Amino acid sequence: MTGIAFALLLTAALTGYMMNRRAALALRDGGQRLHSVGMFHGLYAVLAVVVPSVVVILLWLMLQAPVINAMVMSGLPAGTLDGLDSGARQLAQAEIQSIAGGRIFGSPESWKLDAAERLNSLRGLSGWLMVAVVALVVAAGLWLTRRSVAPQFRARQAVERIVLGLMIFCSVIAVFVTVGIVLSLVFESIRFFQMVPITEFLFGTRWEPQIPIRADQIAADGAFGWLPVLLGTLVITFVAIVISVPVGLMSAIYLNEFASPRFRAVAKPMLEILAGIPTVVYGFFAILTVAPAIRAWGAALGIPVAPNTALAAGGVMAIMLIPFISSFADDALSAVPRSLRDGSMALGATRSETMLKVLFPAAVPGIVGGVLLAISRAIGETMIVVMAAGLIAKMTINPLDSVTTVTVQIVTLLIGDTEFDSPKTLAAFALGLMLFILTLLINIVALRVVRKYRELYD
Amino acid sequence: MYDTTRREGAVTQDDIKIQARKVQVFYGDKQALKDVDVDILDKTVTAFIGPSGCGKSTFLRCINRMNDTIPIARVEGEILLDNENVYDRRVDPVQLRAKVGMVFQKPNPFPKSIYDNVAYGPRIHGLARNRAELDGIVEGALRGAALWNEVKDRLTEPGTGLSGGQQQRLCIARAVATSPEVLLMDEPCSALDPIATAQVEDLIEELRTQFSVVIVTHSMQQAARVSQKTAFFHLGNLVEYGDTDDIFTKPKDSRTEAYISGRIG
Ligand SMILES: Nc1ncnc2c1ncn2[C@@H]1O[C@H](COP(=O)(O)OP(=O)(O)OP(=O)(O)O)[C@@H](O)[C@H]1O
Ligand SMILES: [Mg+2]
Repeated sequence: MTGIAFALLLTAALTGYMMNRRAALALRDGGQRLHSVGMFHGLYAVLAVVVPSVVVILLWLMLQAPVINAMVMSGLPAGTLDGLDSGARQLAQAEIQSIAGGRIFGSPESWKLDAAERLNSLRGLSGWLMVAVVALVVAAGLWLTRRSVAPQFRARQAVERIVLGLMIFCSVIAVFVTVGIVLSLVFESIRFFQMVPITEFLFGTRWEPQIPIRADQIAADGAFGWLPVLLGTLVITFVAIVISVPVGLMSAIYLNEFASPRFRAVAKPMLEILAGIPTVVYGFFAILTVAPAIRAWGAALGIPVAPNTALAAGGVMAIMLIPFISSFADDALSAVPRSLRDGSMALGATRSETMLKVLFPAAVPGIVGGVLLAISRAIGETMIVVMAAGLIAKMTINPLDSVTTVTVQIVTLLIGDTEFDSPKTLAAFALGLMLFILTLLINIVALRVVRKYRELYD
Repeated sequence: MYDTTRREGAVTQDDIKIQARKVQVFYGDKQALKDVDVDILDKTVTAFIGPSGCGKSTFLRCINRMNDTIPIARVEGEILLDNENVYDRRVDPVQLRAKVGMVFQKPNPFPKSIYDNVAYGPRIHGLARNRAELDGIVEGALRGAALWNEVKDRLTEPGTGLSGGQQQRLCIARAVATSPEVLLMDEPCSALDPIATAQVEDLIEELRTQFSVVIVTHSMQQAARVSQKTAFFHLGNLVEYGDTDDIFTKPKDSRTEAYISGRIG
């Protein structure tokens, strides 16, 4: 049915286009001066047909299931549902639906079979009704737009207005989705803070969100102080940034200023490949190669090293971030005008002096922006740390110790059997909210830094 | 040393700062300069004129070896600065450029403070032993570029915040600060208004007392106003070279005459 409706509207759109365009051209050939060229009269018809009927179809598809279900349930013989609680009612409804879909288990009561039949006939009816309504809308669109074709009619403006409306609609969707996600984070977090005081969450130094299997187990309530988790995230991020920023910057500087074109032609694509490796691959690289290597070194040097070190996770994350930082810095350096380089060289500066004193400072805003975005990414990175970091939260800044991160905890809180109203599940939302606020703040700072330097240099 | 007893018009070997011998430049396979021979005098303003694309900038860039920074450029022949070939293997282009300053067509101040712009050259060449000396060099250069009075109260502000004419004078100050022996200027006034142009021209007149200035210009009037010697380039050839007065009043070559009377170019 939906297919028929769409076919209908496409044919109508095409017809409307041809019809209106022909009509407009006929007017012009008759010696009239048109305000808009024929194509816009045609497009106007297309939009007038397509936009309302697509809206009708989408609304219909969204609303038909609940409406039909309600009709079927209320049409049951009086008294059938008496004495059933809401769960049992939903069960009955589900069974009716599966019978209607042709999957019959055992021998259901006859009222269920009747209801399934009614459901099917209602569905068929609804489909035909939708086609009829669409046909009506389409016809109205065609008729109205065909009537509007006239020399003075500003079809171009009308089309532009409609297209503008569509663009606004699309951008509003993005905004609404963002707002929706943030609001859901906020509301779930509020529910969490009703169970666990916000001060305990923000300032507590113990994170033990275990929920007991039996009521009398110890740690029955769990402890939800996020500081150790945050600290773990920061330690790993710090390790990642400390390694990736110098390496990324050096490689960008070398590639941009000193490398021969041949080397650059090889190295640039290599870096891009590095950027394209899925993080899960980095994850098992961390867990299978880097972590054992670090342990072996630690053993050789007589330093105690945990199996899941922050160093391993952060180090591998650094490898992931190198191409990101390098390409940001490379772009920023390439954007520095050649005239500045020539000016410096002409004063007798060497290439390195030119790089250090002119090109690099001029590229700093872009580079700082890139580094801050890299920090955001490191904080939000999930897969590598899920695989390579630990699970137990610890208040430590030793990179050779095992730490856990905010993202890892969100993942572990949500896997397995979860109830939606236990503090354990809701804690994931609170962590998510904190993560969101943290990266938002960093991004805001990044933008401000970049803007401040821009003002200084332009 | 220079012959301090020289008379106007009598050129001696000592007056010659730069000698170009059979200079040829290629960009890839394309020849941009053919057999250019020219003697550029010390404490003199030499103007290079000629239609667009004839190789004036290319020749200028040969003198301070800025062509080295263009990968496809290749230079043949000799350019002697104080009788030493700048293309000799022993010559370090970096040191050469400290002696041969350059001012570009578009003002290109660094995104640094006015002070740091001027102090850039002296700092990398270690010309000042302490801050006071550096201050002195900066002030001297800015005075030399007739910019000191306008910027003395805002030395810490970015050089990019100056007006176009001020920026160009800042670039001249920057070049002067390394106390070069030759100053190359590639159309230094093409981005400036008449007032700023007049200021830069006055400045060139001043600078001539200290060193040799080579200026590329598209303005015949400017060449006539500021220079003592003029070289006319055409299609990669140096067509005519001589006293500016002679070039503009009695050119020997018909191409020169056609160009200065506005018929080619
Ligand atoms: N970097 C380069 N790569 C390739 N060819 C170049 C390059 N620079 C200059 N050329 C070529 O060399 C020739 C001379 O150029 P040059 O810039 O010296 O001319 P010009 O006399 O300074 O012209 P204008 O008055 O327009 O500045 C031109 O044909 C130009 O196309
Ligand atoms: Mg030029």
